Amino acid sequence: VLHHCHRRGSEVLLGHLSHIHIYEQGGISQVGGVHPRVLTNLPDGTFSLAEMQRLVRGDDDHWPVTSLVCIENTHNIAGGKVLPLSWLDQLGTTCQELGLPVHMDGARLFNAAAALDLPPARLIRGCSTVNVCLSKCLGAPAGSVIAGTAEFVRSARRLRKVLGGGMRQVGMLAAAGLYALDHVVPTLSRDHALVQALATAMVETGSQVICCDPQGAHTNILLLECNPKIVTPQDLCHRMSQVSDDEAEATGQRVVARILPITDSAVRLVVHCDVTEKDIQMVIAKLKYVIKELDGKM
Amino acid sequence: MEDDGAKKEVMVTSMKAEYIEHSIEVTHFATSDMEAQGLGMPGLDDAADVPTEMTVSVEEQNPNDGRLEVMELKHSIDKKKKRIRAYSQKFRKEWIQMGEFQGWLSEGSAPDRAYCTVCSKELLAGKSELLKHANGKKHKKRLEEGHINMTVPTDLSSVLDGTAIPHVLQIVDLRSDTVTQPSREMKEAMFDAPVGDDVFSEDPTVKALEEKVARMLEKEAALFVPSGTMANLICVLTHCWGRGSEVIVGDQSHLHLWAQGGIAQVGSVHHRSIRNLPDGTFSLQDLRSLVRGDDPHWPVTTLVCVENTHNMMGGKALPLQWVDDLGTLCNELNLPLHMDGARLINASVALGTSPARLVQWCDSVSLCLNKGLGAPMGSLVVGTKEFITRALRVRKVLGGGLHQAGMFAAAGIYALDHIAPRLSLDHTNARAIAQSVSEVHSSAITVDLKGVQTNVVLLHCDNIRVNAKKLCQRLASVTDAESEEMGEQIVVMMLPITETTVRLMMHCDVKKDDIKAVIKKLKYIIQEYDNMMYLEYK
Repeated sequence: VLHHCHRRGSEVLLGHLSHIHIYEQGGISQVGGVHPRVLTNLPDGTFSLAEMQRLVRGDDDHWPVTSLVCIENTHNIAGGKVLPLSWLDQLGTTCQELGLPVHMDGARLFNAAAALDLPPARLIRGCSTVNVCLSKCLGAPAGSVIAGTAEFVRSARRLRKVLGGGMRQVGMLAAAGLYALDHVVPTLSRDHALVQALATAMVETGSQVICCDPQGAHTNILLLECNPKIVTPQDLCHRMSQVSDDEAEATGQRVVARILPITDSAVRLVVHCDVTEKDIQMVIAKLKYVIKELDGKM
Repeated sequence: MEDDGAKKEVMVTSMKAEYIEHSIEVTHFATSDMEAQGLGMPGLDDAADVPTEMTVSVEEQNPNDGRLEVMELKHSIDKKKKRIRAYSQKFRKEWIQMGEFQGWLSEGSAPDRAYCTVCSKELLAGKSELLKHANGKKHKKRLEEGHINMTVPTDLSSVLDGTAIPHVLQIVDLRSDTVTQPSREMKEAMFDAPVGDDVFSEDPTVKALEEKVARMLEKEAALFVPSGTMANLICVLTHCWGRGSEVIVGDQSHLHLWAQGGIAQVGSVHHRSIRNLPDGTFSLQDLRSLVRGDDPHWPVTTLVCVENTHNMMGGKALPLQWVDDLGTLCNELNLPLHMDGARLINASVALGTSPARLVQWCDSVSLCLNKGLGAPMGSLVVGTKEFITRALRVRKVLGGGLHQAGMFAAAGIYALDHIAPRLSLDHTNARAIAQSVSEVHSSAITVDLKGVQTNVVLLHCDNIRVNAKKLCQRLASVTDAESEEMGEQIVVMMLPITETTVRLMMHCDVKKDDIKAVIKKLKYIIQEYDNMMYLEYK
């Protein structure tokens, strides 16, 4: 963002539920002096291109200068949604006409690519810059990579420097990333399949308290919607991190599942390469038990 | 090597003048240059001491049979003018425009040298030699392929053969103590370390490192961050939490010079610089006068920063008494004190005092693991629990949170346990090199031997025969004469930090052999500069 919005008085268009807007402590403003303007994120992670065009600023002293459009693929809060390819292409064309660069927050880009069974490069065709994380589904201990033109990378180096991100003998981290790209990327569809197994099992319970949408679970993230009258997301997470004796007897296992509340009504589960099929079976068993408990309260 | 047979550098191997008693000159400088610099040609009053004849031996390799032919050129003195002129070709700037030399020829590291920017090779500045080089196969190929000019000291292509594998070559990297590689034992410690997600505060090794450092400095808590730049930035931003803050920093400090103006660019913090003295300190009286009062015209002085050891001043350890006095003053002025302790352990070793004692009056400290301590990366921010909680927020917004960082924390722990105890060796080695330079009593390259307190040595160039950039260039290249005379090919990498100052830094990857090689090389090069011209001014 700081590279694209290098001059004073810049503005960036981004989704109201994007990671950049919600989870980065307002960094683009706090650290970069950049003003954000939000577009309404739709449930599938996209936003209206018409709205985007409407919000692009003209030339007026009252207005900052629109300098960048940011998108997120897969979209985290929307539940790990894969942005539709046709929408991506359309966005690319529109922004090109508007003379606006597009940056993709591709923290989980490889999941999107695996879900669509396409090379990641195809997904970022209309993007000027992209960020991919090695530390997420790819399993490396730390690190992300940003990519763009050579000019961009030169500028990015400077920005990385001033933020204090330049490290010394980091080849060790890079090696982990390379290993991840070679060995872990091919296994991503397994993570997705496990999420589907979870989601299907949830739907089968026919619960009114905990619901989910298997078709909406595109990748390795599953959102469980909670009926707020019966249980809040925080309560559910808390319950999942405990084991009662009755539960142990009924299910024949003592399992703790660590999940996170993500919205006022949903919890998020993320499947990754450290989760085995057996783990999922156990989580399903536990969830079924907990759901029965909650259903009983209705 | 293809070019071996074709290389024909004419080397002036010796200049003999009968009965030269006192120092007279083989001046390679054209008179006009010298006059422009305010130097006059020496006049010779005592004709008796002046040699009547000078013999210059020139060795040339016969292109056909490789035999060395020695030619003797005799020069007589022009007694009327009472001057001696001995001719050895000086590089002429006009050549750069000539067709054969365009696009690749540039000045070398000395007046009688030229430099091929395409082959990255230093040549003797004889026109015929340059023409021969221009016609070389390799040079032509490189010119075609449009190799980019790389004249930074780190370029080693002048000493690599066609396969780019250095042969019989010793390379000593003294550019910085950050270049150290993790040893096998360190890597094993990293491999075995238990890790977790540090962003969830679940990495036990990171926690262990943070606790260890906090304990070592006798502070409440510490925070692991990717770099020293970020550590200092975090400290300033954490202290300067309110709008309109101002910090006081040394005008030669790393924060001021080498952090890309981060505190302003990223943190909106204003600063006032205070003049650093050669020992790394500054005047406490000046400090008092820089502190702002309460007035809407003025930002609010919020923090004082010091650097220990002081990098630009030559790795100086701040005098303990001064640090204590500063601490007392800041306390009186109700100002927090931050110490950029990137090389704090070096300071502690130099002074023979515990690191905790050095930071007794500091509210926050930054400490680097990636410098003399030899870890691959990482630094720590140290302070009160409250400070660290806030610092964690700042680390987050800067993007400094790493996940399974325990691997690097383990390297840091290993460094503190195994490498910190041997830091005095780096200091001894630095002194050894400084001493060897000082012993030569050169006027071209000088060193302040007394000023070498830790692992840093600053070499000062006279800016007449050599400047910082050229010295680094010369150190990183090997001439044929040199390799023949010394019997080995040594490349030493250092960094120019000002126009006339070259910095070298000792670290744990430098071995005894390396020290010897560096000294040998330095002495050889210094001799070159000294032989070039030594004038007696009357």
